Parts: sequence; C-alpha cells; structure tokens
Amino acid sequence: MYWGVQVGVAAVTGGKGGTGKSTIAINMAVAIANSRDVVLADLDVEAPNDHILLGIDLKDKEAVKIMIPFIDYSKCVKCGACAEVCDSGAILMPKGKYPYILPRLCSGCRACYFTCRAKAISEGYRVVGYTYRTEVNLGSTSITLVTGMLREGEEHVIHTVLAAKERAIREYRDVLIIDTAAGSGNNVTAAIEDSDIILAVTEPTPLGLHDLTLILELASRLGIEALIVINKVGIGPKDKIVDVAKKYRAKVIAEVPYSKDVVSSYINGVPLVRAAPNHPIALTFRKLGNYLSEVL
Amino acid sequence: MIEIAVASGKGGVGKSTIATSLAIILAKSGWKVILADADAEAPNAHLILGIDSWDEVRDYSEGYVAEIDYTKCNTCGACAKSCAFKAVKLVNGRYVINKFTCEGCLTCSLVCPKQAIQRIKASAGKLRIVRETRWGFPLVSALLSLGRPNSGKLVTEIKEIARSLARSDTIIILDSAAGIGCQVIASLAGASAAILVAEPTPASFSDLRRIHSVAKHFGIPSALVINKYDLNPEYVKVIVEYAVTENIDILGTVPYDDHVPKSLSYMKPLIEVFPEASASKAITDLAKRFEEKILRNWAEWRRKFTPTKAAPYVPIIIKPNER
Repeated sequence: MYWGVQVGVAAVTGGKGGTGKSTIAINMAVAIANSRDVVLADLDVEAPNDHILLGIDLKDKEAVKIMIPFIDYSKCVKCGACAEVCDSGAILMPKGKYPYILPRLCSGCRACYFTCRAKAISEGYRVVGYTYRTEVNLGSTSITLVTGMLREGEEHVIHTVLAAKERAIREYRDVLIIDTAAGSGNNVTAAIEDSDIILAVTEPTPLGLHDLTLILELASRLGIEALIVINKVGIGPKDKIVDVAKKYRAKVIAEVPYSKDVVSSYINGVPLVRAAPNHPIALTFRKLGNYLSEVL
Repeated sequence: MIEIAVASGKGGVGKSTIATSLAIILAKSGWKVILADADAEAPNAHLILGIDSWDEVRDYSEGYVAEIDYTKCNTCGACAKSCAFKAVKLVNGRYVINKFTCEGCLTCSLVCPKQAIQRIKASAGKLRIVRETRWGFPLVSALLSLGRPNSGKLVTEIKEIARSLARSDTIIILDSAAGIGCQVIASLAGASAAILVAEPTPASFSDLRRIHSVAKHFGIPSALVINKYDLNPEYVKVIVEYAVTENIDILGTVPYDDHVPKSLSYMKPLIEVFPEASASKAITDLAKRFEEKILRNWAEWRRKFTPTKAAPYVPIIIKPNER
C-alpha cells in the first residue's frame, strides 16, 4: 500500500458539511486515548476545526511547498511547449514573448519542467499550506493532533491534504483517526484511501442522504468497508438512510440524538466525553470509540 | 448583472437554505434570478427545491486520466516518483494509476522512458440545468465525477452557463461549497459580492475569517448572516464585533428552528411549507433587507462595503536555489 500503514486507520467522512464529522472524530479519539496510542489527523485543510473543538493552539508548523517553474531567459527559445502542456492555464505565452507564469493557477505538476527541451525551466517552490503537530494533553494521557491548513487564497488543496496525511503517518504508532473535509472529490479520496474503515457521519435529511450515498459509493469503489453514524437523530425521518445503508451493506453502528449539550461542548472547546463523561451522548461517543478500537 | 456568492467556509451552517430562500423571495418580488449550485461535490440546492429531474444534463469532459500500457512498462517507477499528486503506487510489483486522484497532468507520460503512459479523456462530471423552476428562475447545478479532481472547473463552467442565461438586470445567486479551496475560489472569482453565513461557534468563526480573507483577495464587499444565533447569543457579539471592524454589512440573524430540517424532509422550501416559522420570518426579513439595502441601492452599498484596503492574494514563492 502506498501509505505504508496496514492496520489501524479509520477515516471519518460523510459528504455533507456540518453533519458532525469533527465532533465525532475528536470525541472518539479522546475516548480511546487511555487504552490506545492515538494520532488524529485533521485533513479538512480548507476549514480545519479539530483544534478548536479540542480547545488548543496549533504547534510545530511546517510549510507545504509545491514546485513552481522559473524560466531561464538565457535558455528559453519561446517555443511555447510549456504553456501548451499546462492543464491549469498557469503559463501564458504572449506572441513572440517569453512565457509568463501565473502562480495561483499553478498546480505544481512539473509537466512544463519535463516538457521543456531547452532546459530553460528550473524548480522554485510555492508555499500552499501548512501542517502542524500538536500534543493534546488529556491529563493522564494524550493524543497527537496533526493538522493540515490550506493557505488562504490558494486553490490547489490536494497537496496540503497529502502532506498532512504523510505527517500523520510519520507520527502513527497504533491508531490513526482521519477527519476529512465535506465533499466527495479528490481531497476526500486522498484522505480516506487505504484506511481500514470509513465512518460515514450523516444526518436524517434528504441532503445528508444524498451526500452519504456519494460517499458510500466512493467507499465501495475504493474497496473500503463503510460504517454509518446517524447524527442529529430526531430532526427528520431516517428510514431512507437505513435503506441506503442496506443497499451498500454498510452497518449503522450508532445513532446520536440532536442535543444542545453537544453544541455547548462544541462552543466551549472541551470534548463532550471530557466535559460531561456520563452524558448519554458522551457514552455513545465512547461506545463508538471502543467499537473502532476493537476493529482496528 | 449582479452575482452574489453565498459562502461560509464551514459546512452545514445554512448556505443552501439561505441561497434558495433568497432566490425564491427575490423571484416572487419580480427580480430576474438565476440560482447556481456552486458545490459540485455535494450539490444540494435542487433537493431543497424539491427538484428531481433536469431539462438538460451535459457531460463535462475537460479532464484526463493516465493509463499505463503494461506491455511497454518496465516497472522503473519514474512515474510514481514524478507524480505530484501521489496517484501512482506499486501494487503487487506493478505500478498502478489511481483513477480517482490522478489529475491527468501528463507528467508521468513525459518522464516514462518507455513511453508506456498515455492519457485519456475522462469526464470531470455533469452539468445539469432546469430552465424554469416553479418560481420561474433557472437552476444550474453540477455533479463531480465521484472522488475525482476538477470540481473548481465545474463550478466555473456552471457560472458560465448562468451568465449565458442572464440579462443585464439578472441577479445570479451562487450557493458555494464548504471550504475555501478551488470550488469556493471559482465561486468568488468575478462575483459582485459575498453573503457570508456563520453560526455563533468558534469553529464557524474561524472559518468565517478564512473565507472573508479570500473575499478580500477579490476585493468584493461582504454581507453577513448569523444563523442559529440563539444557540450562543454571547458569541454572536464576537462575530458582530469582527464584522464591524472588518466593514462587513450585517444583514441579519436567523434563529435555530427545527422547522428547517423538517422542511428539508418534505423537500419543499422552508418559507413555503412553514411561512409562520421563526426562521422563515427571519429569512424573509433578511431577503427584504437584502433587496432594499443592497439591490435597490447597489452602487452606494457597494461603495460603502468594498474593502478600502487592498488585500490581494500574494503567493509565497521560494526561488530556485533559495532555501
């Protein structure tokens, strides 16, 4: 496997935004921290929130760099091959002039570098995001949080997802819990691929159902077993979610009722399993964590 | 033509509910409206409107995926080494292209000493159009090829379609994706203004600041809607304070209301099934204010709320041979 980790990886995803992915990921991570050595990877690099829900400041920042072409005008023959090969439209070729690079559009793929016969392109770098590594102190134990954060204004997201995932895997010792972004594109694929299990967090609305279906289909095409958590139970009927779960042979392993207590723990930056360990929903989170801990 | 991008950074804060309601209310009061669902990875606007069929579905095939000819491949691994997207991996002694994460950039083909890699056209996704919804306005929407790149290109494409359908007096409402990456940048690029939606939580506030800094890169004015404000009235103050400091127009607040998810399960717009619900009333007021304050007063509003200090995107570049 590319990522080089054979066991112990669970990815929390779901398609729709705001279904509770991060809440569930951090609570499970904290819940099993006593018995397992947990790395939590926040790969929602566009809107990373795990550190906020854990009430901590991020530490140990590293830049995510991607290649950007620099043209050596003494060698460039103005052939335009670089502009032609560039899929991102990041190289302009004004007639009779030297190529002009638009940094924001450049995806760092290096096709121009390999295409240029005059060897007129050298490799510079652009910082598109950052990764962080923060030890989260939980009293008697701790977890390691690795966070990816896209730089504001950058549109190429995937590199920061990959860099944060790599860093999390470098830290990996026993269990890795991955928290993904909303959506169903390559940023989510890269985050969840090669995990042992996918935890799809959804809500009982047609929107939740629609996006859950996309995720279950993606999981099935990637050959990864998916489990379903229905969050905010009570805000709408869940029968269609149960149907789609059956269709994809994905087990519904937990149902979490909608509760303002979850919202307040969310606001206070203390995971519910710590803020109110005996709250019924905290117990559900703990059970979920234990379930995962047994599978991984 | 005025293009309004509804965005939030964080997911699930109510973008689609606000965007669809706004489109309906504006259309009802006589504006020419086009609704564009600018989230190709989790398109949901049609579900809120109860739309289950499209007048037109087009394939958008502006994408490629690499393919290895194993009769030529000598398993040297140059492709895997060169791939900036880590989409080539060694599986059982053979290099395999991940057809989901491959961006089709041609780099692996160029480095392959055996010329064993070709790239073939791959569908980036689908473009979908309803020419006239029940409320008279068109809906354009996209659906990304599952798990694949290029959602930003799809958003740019549906914006092009929306613009081609628009007249000079049309209001285009863009229901943006969560996040601040390619889809959202595609949505904000060229927009006339942004409506930023936030809920009073630290997570949403953090994402609000990120999306707002991107809106500022484009130099566009922003208005703010605080949704579910009663979940945490104390924190509303923090967000309001930020908006005031940053010269974001505060359009209004919407309370938490379980009629919102209920209306979703009916697949009918909230403001029509539960017109008396507190959220409906708040959203209707909000739309009226949007109309009066912003649309009818566009030039002045824009002048007032366009960021005065230029805050363009500046890339961090490291030159060759620099550290």
